[in-house]
Amino acid sequence: MTATRRLPGARVVALVAALAVLVGVAVVSVGIGAHAIAPAEVVRALLDHDGSSDHVVVRDIRVPRAFLAVGAGAALAVAGVLVQVLSRNPLAEPGVLGVTAGAGFAITVGSALGATASAAGELVLAVLGAVVAAVLVYSVGRRSPLRLVLTGVALSSVLAGVSLGLRLVLPDVFDEYRFWSVGSLAGREQSPTTLPLLAIALAVAGALLLSRQLNAVALGDTVAHTLGANVARVRITTLVLTTVLAGAATAVAGPILFVGLIVPHLARRMAGGSVPWLVVYATVLGPVLLLLADIGSRVLLPTGEVPVAIVTAFLGGPVLIWAVRRYAAAEL
Amino acid sequence: MSIARTPRLAAALAFTLVAAVGCGSAENTATGQTGAAESATRVFTADNGDITIPVSPQRVVATGYAVPALLEADAPLVGISSWKRGEPLMSAEDLKKYQELTKVAGESAAETNYEAIAQVEPDLIVIGVPKPVLADIDLKRLETIAPVVAIGPSLPSAWRELSRKQADAAGALSEFDSVKAQYEEKAKGLKDKYASVLPTLKLGHVGAYGEVAKGNFQREFNGSWGTNVAQDMGATYYGQVKVKGGGSKDVSEYPSIEELTAAFSEATAITYSVAADGKVPAPVQYVMDSPLWKELPAVKAGKTFPLRYTEAATYRSAMKALDAADEAFAPLLAK
Repeated sequence: MTATRRLPGARVVALVAALAVLVGVAVVSVGIGAHAIAPAEVVRALLDHDGSSDHVVVRDIRVPRAFLAVGAGAALAVAGVLVQVLSRNPLAEPGVLGVTAGAGFAITVGSALGATASAAGELVLAVLGAVVAAVLVYSVGRRSPLRLVLTGVALSSVLAGVSLGLRLVLPDVFDEYRFWSVGSLAGREQSPTTLPLLAIALAVAGALLLSRQLNAVALGDTVAHTLGANVARVRITTLVLTTVLAGAATAVAGPILFVGLIVPHLARRMAGGSVPWLVVYATVLGPVLLLLADIGSRVLLPTGEVPVAIVTAFLGGPVLIWAVRRYAAAEL
Repeated sequence: MSIARTPRLAAALAFTLVAAVGCGSAENTATGQTGAAESATRVFTADNGDITIPVSPQRVVATGYAVPALLEADAPLVGISSWKRGEPLMSAEDLKKYQELTKVAGESAAETNYEAIAQVEPDLIVIGVPKPVLADIDLKRLETIAPVVAIGPSLPSAWRELSRKQADAAGALSEFDSVKAQYEEKAKGLKDKYASVLPTLKLGHVGAYGEVAKGNFQREFNGSWGTNVAQDMGATYYGQVKVKGGGSKDVSEYPSIEELTAAFSEATAITYSVAADGKVPAPVQYVMDSPLWKELPAVKAGKTFPLRYTEAATYRSAMKALDAADEAFAPLLAK
């Protein structure tokens, strides 16, 4: 099925609308939480911080959390676009490259060795695990997109199995891992997230720069060669960017599935077959989805919160089915 | 089996039977009362119903919370489950016994080794796990080995009654009651010692157990793991859970960190759980690193107290918890 072509003007209007929604959702995200704070007080906390507990909640807990949602949402969504375009598989998501399983395995081993005492240590381990897994997958499956996906799935299964075995043998490891294994944006305000968020911003910029060449690769290797694209270089760069994006997002928030799968489908209709526009829309819609899920995670229970990964999983299934039925999963 | 061997086997069996009957008669004659007591039974009410158990069991298997309780009560144990979480609370003598005893189950109920239990030939099995966890255990299979009584925890503070019930089932009440009396005497002494300060405080407690994760904290009220021993010294923890969730969730909850101020703004003092070695667990450290914590009135007043051994579920281990609480609250008495 061919994707619907859209006029550049319509794309810009859609982008502006999406940005407006993003700003609106971000404002709501800062205004809503377990502790009720009047809207006027929220505004005062942002503009005239007086150190009161309400202002601390807004400035030191909700604002960093909103930034984290924007960063992780954009990272997962753009990584999803890159993986789907690279593998020419609309069901692919960043996890198929073994990145999530690699990060999880590293956290499990780190817990067993007592190396996850600090948030920074946990973050470094997750990034290392993601990078090593991605390098392994690429070195084995670099010859074709199908082989790449199969290698990623196989490695993910192996790492998940070994991790599970370790957690069964070492109950203390299970205790530490179970909090990490369900992705959440809560309680990350004390973690050193500046560097991962910076890495995500650079990788998103890199994805935008690469998107024109990806447009050519999406048409197949032969056509891409004819159009003058260096397929091998584009493929490696895409993998590096995907690893940085998914690895950094997983490191700061834990595994959050579905965002990387759903958002490209939601954005595809708006992008009208253009990979550069697809990346742009994913950069905006990913944060919108994660912010919405995070707001839900705060208000669903009378006491405490539901991890955001559970909310995205509940939202993800129905939205994906709706998207597939509505747009028939337009091919790239 | 060959036909030629059959008569010899039958003869051997008949001889064994006659010898066994003869020996049994002789024992009954010589120690008639003891034998009768050992074989006598009674009906015991447990979580799994009314169970007929020996009046004086001689070979007891204990799992879960029954392990430390029956170790302390000097019950005739022949097999226990692993109970790592209780090791720091055990006395040197109990720890030695714990290490020497045959392990017939792992840390969780699902790790019950039925064959290992059968091999130690118990005449009573005491299961000390919460009711919902009983589903992980094949009780019918265990009942083919020996009578099974399930006596699991409900409210955290109910360890007093439950451990007594476990000791009662195992026929080991005398040692139990002796340790209980020591605890009560110590608690009374400390209650008198802190009578002028503890009852005047409006206390809150930050815990470190259960579903606590980044982004929330465990608040414990009266009757919870972190608070019940301090209550015996005269402490009172104000407030109650928003929604009762059964068991420990009737007396503790897991609010978002955003609600830290609302939870403890009225507290004039705050206690918090620490590990046996005094280290602050990660979930508590997360709370203490929050800028909201630093603004709490009790924190500003320097009225925060670390409590060790908050997992205590037996009288002897609770005595350790009392000593630790005495050490923690000592600054309150300083003029």
